[in-house]
Amino acid sequence: MIGVPWARESKQYTVLRSNALNFAVSELAPVADDLENTVDSPLLWKAVEKAGEMGMLAALVPEQLGGEGVDLYSLCVALEESAVESAGFAAALLFHNAALVPLVYSDRKDLVEEFTRGRPLCTAATAGETVLEEGKVSGSAPFVFNVMEGAPVLLFAGSGEARKAAYVRVGASGVETRIDPYPLGWRVSEFATLEMKGAEPHFVLDGSEREALAATERTLYLGLAAVANGIVRKAFQKAYDYARQRYQAGKLIIEHQAMRLMLARMLCAMEEGRALIRRASGVEDLAPAIIAWRRAGANACQAAMDGVQIHGGYGYMRDYGMERLMRDAKYCQMFPRPEEEQLLRLLDMAESGS
Amino acid sequence: MMIGQELSETGRRLFRDFPILRMLWESGRKKGIRETIGLIEKAEEFNRTFAVPRALELDMRMEREPEYFDWEIMRRACRYRFLSLFIPRQLGGIAGEFMVTNTSLLMDELCSGCSGIALAVGAHSLGVAPLVTSGAMAHWDTVLKEIVEGELREQPVTMAYAITEPSAGTDVEEPEYLEKAKLSLEAKKVKGGYVLNGRKCFISDGSEAKYFTVCAALDRSRPLQTWTTFLVERDMEGFSTPRVELKMGQRASHAAELLFEEVFVPDSHVLGYEGDGMGNGILMIMAASRGPVGSIATGIARGAFQHFLAWAKTKRNGKRPIDEDRIRLALADMWGMIQENRGLYMSNAMLGDGIFSKALDNPIMNLTLGLPSSLRTMPLMRNFLNSYYGKAMINAILRYYLKDEDMTQLLETASLAKFSCADNAMELCSRALSLMGPEDSEERRWVEKCYRDAKLTQIYEGTNQLNRLVVNNIRFEETLRVEVPRPLKKGVMA
Ligand SMILES: Cc1cc2nc3c(=O)[nH]c(=O)nc-3n(C[C@H](O)[C@H](O)[C@H](O)COP(=O)(O)OP(=O)(O)OC[C@H]3O[C@@H](n4cnc5c(N)ncnc54)[C@H](O)[C@@H]3O)c2cc1C
Repeated sequence: MIGVPWARESKQYTVLRSNALNFAVSELAPVADDLENTVDSPLLWKAVEKAGEMGMLAALVPEQLGGEGVDLYSLCVALEESAVESAGFAAALLFHNAALVPLVYSDRKDLVEEFTRGRPLCTAATAGETVLEEGKVSGSAPFVFNVMEGAPVLLFAGSGEARKAAYVRVGASGVETRIDPYPLGWRVSEFATLEMKGAEPHFVLDGSEREALAATERTLYLGLAAVANGIVRKAFQKAYDYARQRYQAGKLIIEHQAMRLMLARMLCAMEEGRALIRRASGVEDLAPAIIAWRRAGANACQAAMDGVQIHGGYGYMRDYGMERLMRDAKYCQMFPRPEEEQLLRLLDMAESGS
Repeated sequence: MMIGQELSETGRRLFRDFPILRMLWESGRKKGIRETIGLIEKAEEFNRTFAVPRALELDMRMEREPEYFDWEIMRRACRYRFLSLFIPRQLGGIAGEFMVTNTSLLMDELCSGCSGIALAVGAHSLGVAPLVTSGAMAHWDTVLKEIVEGELREQPVTMAYAITEPSAGTDVEEPEYLEKAKLSLEAKKVKGGYVLNGRKCFISDGSEAKYFTVCAALDRSRPLQTWTTFLVERDMEGFSTPRVELKMGQRASHAAELLFEEVFVPDSHVLGYEGDGMGNGILMIMAASRGPVGSIATGIARGAFQHFLAWAKTKRNGKRPIDEDRIRLALADMWGMIQENRGLYMSNAMLGDGIFSKALDNPIMNLTLGLPSSLRTMPLMRNFLNSYYGKAMINAILRYYLKDEDMTQLLETASLAKFSCADNAMELCSRALSLMGPEDSEERRWVEKCYRDAKLTQIYEGTNQLNRLVVNNIRFEETLRVEVPRPLKKGVMA
């Protein structure tokens, strides 16, 4: 199998990558389809437990707070490899890890312990509008991933300077959930809209909210870029293998330039994604993370779509596992916020020098 | 009288979206255009009262129960006569001077509601098409009549079209490739008929249809020369449909596997001559059907667009998305894509009608179809129509009205419409979702469905790659040409 031929990484990441890939192949690959068909399945919890053993449930939290204390690029490596087998699972891990980021800015080891037991996972609400007034949370957060009973949900409550990092718990009084019965992708965990009416927050970060929320966002964008890159990798692997065994017009379809071009584009996408993630995780700014996410998300959509196309009619059918990539890829592009909105924000950021 | 006063709201909308229809109306084709408008009004009603209210639910259900089929789709289709689109009027069907245009517009309309439901309806006509275009008159008074009568009683009798095989998809759609194809199905000549063994796959409506038009090689080592079109009946011994697929989209219809185990098909069930399959069974059908696949894609895009527009006009947190310029610009872009698609599929449809209306409505045809059907169904007459000379006569008539150059040009416009419309639809749905982002809304759910549905239009009726090559091969290199079956053709097994 050919991989990403040009991207080079230091030993530390190579080892991490191969461990994470082992995890994905042995724990996720066999259950990826089942995970997709049943939310909240025992298989999910078994995989989560394994991920926990590998330190993926508190990856970015410093060791003194009970976490693993790895850098963001390491988390991205683990997410990308997990996403090769199950983008939904990788997204679940990402939302969980991102939601823990504000805790890094508080000294609440107890909360870290409480939030990282692995069941339920934590989550972050990225869209909608919520406010924190007189110590109570109100508003609505649409389409939140990883919603399950008792899950701590990180809210970006309020706007602008007054933004607060507040956590509510699913199922707490004043927090209503409306489950989406039929999401397009990432079907390993429940999607729901949360309606909050004067809900008592579980915890509100007091001080460093700005940095905390910016770091959370950066984690989300880069993590999603990594998940997207995992999808590109899988699309390439599957399509490349298929193209080398399917004959049409008397030759292997990999010999048709139409197919070779699509595969070559995927190869570029893998390199592009990884290079952008690499670069963006080395700087503290948010903008490069958003840029990496935009590119990787678009690449994943294209790669998955081309992967389906290379498989012809078979690509459109559930059994071949290609159509799942196409559905999952789209969510990498739709989350955490609409793409054009973020594009405009990039210019705003450049203008304001942030 | 002003046009506006004479027309229904649907008519006015159609004239606005398709100025060509208005031009035809004003230049004296009122009767035909009025029928077109009437058909689209029915489609709107079908969508409003039936398809739209159940589309999302059905789509979700078919994921859990892939074997399920909602027969109400076909019963409703009967009520509106959507099963007779390709059946000539002289035989009780509704195909007239605007057969291709009507089919294209109908598919656009139905798919704006639910393309899965629309595919269940449309794939039937794809199955009917070879029976008509091959001039298999011996079966017109039996099979086509049964369809029409069933339709009038709301007891659907349906057909499916089966060319794809497990290891030959693209290959069966192009003569040059068919020559090298690895085929599974073979039809061995035996006394009085043929014995079919092998498989077809991904056949839309395959698990519901009563009749099938099936292309098969008589000799798998010479597929192109021996490619032949058969009429197969579900209750023929040895025929079965063992499996349906779990598709990503357009789920309300089934894609089924067909299994042939020593299926005996009588000589009378060969449509056209042995060895005519590429012309009458594939290329002529593709020339008539790829344009309507472009309109399927357009309908899906339009459905996505309508839901996106509704989303854009709905207030969220005190603001409407459409108040932002970028959303307005996107809406205009999307509408541009839809109208571009319509231009492409309509030019194919107009050309198609220019060609087919003569073939279906001419003195000889009218005379033949004007005879009492009891005369045509007399054994003597049927035997003649099925005989070598009977087929020669029909082929002679067909060739008089359908010219190779016209059919070739039709195939080119059809392939162009097919891939362009499909690509635009995919892009439109994709963009709409990106603009919506993580929204909890009914509209997002619809557009997600459209996104899944649209992808299929880049694959079936020949992948978009194949269709691009077809356009090249016809227009720029002149290496592909449709051959309308010739009279007095020699047998291919000699
Ligand atoms: C839901 C669904 C419904 C369908 N309904 C019907 C039906 O009713 N009746 C029917 O007969 N068929 C039907 N089909 C089959 C459909 O027409 C085929 O899937 C399609 O023609 C592609 O064939 P394939 O799947 O074998 O892909 P392949 O031909 O194996 O193609 C695989 C990839 O290789 C590429 N490729 C192949 N050959 C070439 C070449 N020479 N040059 C460049 N690229 C090439 C293709 O573009 C594609 O990307 C249906 C398919 C689906 C998915």
